[in-house]
Amino acid sequence: MNQSLIIGQYVPGESVVHKIDPRLKLIIIFIFVIAVFMANNIWSYVSLYFFVFASVALSRIPVAYIFKGLKPVWWIIIITFMFHLFINSGGNVIVSFLGINVYEQGVFQGASIATRFFLLIILATLLTLSTTPIAVTDAVEALLKPLKKVRFPVHEIALMMSISLRFIPTFMQEMDKISKAQAARGLDYTKGKLKDRFKALLPLLIPLLISSFKRAEDLALAMEARGYQGEEGRTKLRQLSFSKIDYIVIISLIVFLVSFYMIRV
Amino acid sequence: MLTFYIGGLTIKLVHLIYVSMFAAIMGVLGLLPPIPLGFSPVPITLQTLGVMLAGSILGARLGPKYAALSQVLFLLIVATGMPLLSGGRGGIGVFLTPSAGFLISWIASAYVIGYLCQRLKTVVVWKMLLINLVGGVFVVYLIGVPVQAMMMEIPVTQAAIYSLSFLPGDVLKVVGASFIAVKLYHAAPFMKEARA
Repeated sequence: MNQSLIIGQYVPGESVVHKIDPRLKLIIIFIFVIAVFMANNIWSYVSLYFFVFASVALSRIPVAYIFKGLKPVWWIIIITFMFHLFINSGGNVIVSFLGINVYEQGVFQGASIATRFFLLIILATLLTLSTTPIAVTDAVEALLKPLKKVRFPVHEIALMMSISLRFIPTFMQEMDKISKAQAARGLDYTKGKLKDRFKALLPLLIPLLISSFKRAEDLALAMEARGYQGEEGRTKLRQLSFSKIDYIVIISLIVFLVSFYMIRV
Repeated sequence: MLTFYIGGLTIKLVHLIYVSMFAAIMGVLGLLPPIPLGFSPVPITLQTLGVMLAGSILGARLGPKYAALSQVLFLLIVATGMPLLSGGRGGIGVFLTPSAGFLISWIASAYVIGYLCQRLKTVVVWKMLLINLVGGVFVVYLIGVPVQAMMMEIPVTQAAIYSLSFLPGDVLKVVGASFIAVKLYHAAPFMKEARA
């Protein structure tokens, strides 16, 4: 199995985009989602394209990585576009072909929705490629902190995320070992009749589940033995802090949003 | 033993870690290669098997809230950028696509399965089959299809027809999850004490 999974899809780099505080990146994504659904004319979409492609250029991440993030979504974008082309019946007929009419409104609507998915996926992929999962976890914990006032378990969620992230590679290795052990005993869930493959899955999944229960109990004991007693009184090894780059980004973002608001009519 | 208070729920540290482990297992299942079916163009991915197992095992022992929490946790981890969904997808982008409704339905799915399993007097395969069909298939499509239709701005019936091709694989996963859950119920002594 792929060992590089430990750092997720992160592409190491020293670009401006890499150095932005992860909390700010998450906030930008959420603002952008709102903006994309507020766009309602050609120029507002053009400004959004500008924002996204400027971000990509600044990140200095190869374009091939960006488009890899789009791969699972291409067919959805195309299907949606095609569907609106043939269903929407507002405005004038542009093309008439074999009894099927393509209307003005259908083209605009299809293009609008396709654009939304396109831009959102690119920006989200950029976040994923320029930020490590651990950094995003820290950012999520920081941004959820206000929810503690309504008793949301912020610390516990962050703890569970860290534990899960830590154990995914371990379980991948374990699955690999069990898989090879079972193959040595003649079982292979990727070949043969359907019934045989399902039978071969049992000796793969059951040991994995049982060993995960054991690990959970061992880990709980170890944590308590090391003095863990909840969030109270804890300090943080990794600290997030804003830098000069973040303030420049904030100012640029405000300028962009004001321009966008004036453009959209 | 160390306990927390989450949303009015007293939770032991070891239970919290059980939830974490299940989220990690969800990730591993998503990385296994899909099993092709001869009679369907859509291969079986094992990830939703993990959802059913979370409900059948974790939910049956600790309660449906824990099963749902494991799915919330898994989706949060996917959002951080880990490529744990089938096909190596991950990051916030997956929640901005029409399939997002199916991801979110996993939370309700695990809860329903866990709730029904916890109420079982006797653990028998056919009862597990029924429970996983309701929670693992019906609830998932009940939530996923309308969201897909809404995001693509197409009629719900159109989205439902498209989803039919995934049905054979899902039913087979129901069978697999039910057998695994029953086997584990009798084989795994660890979590029996955990409820105490």
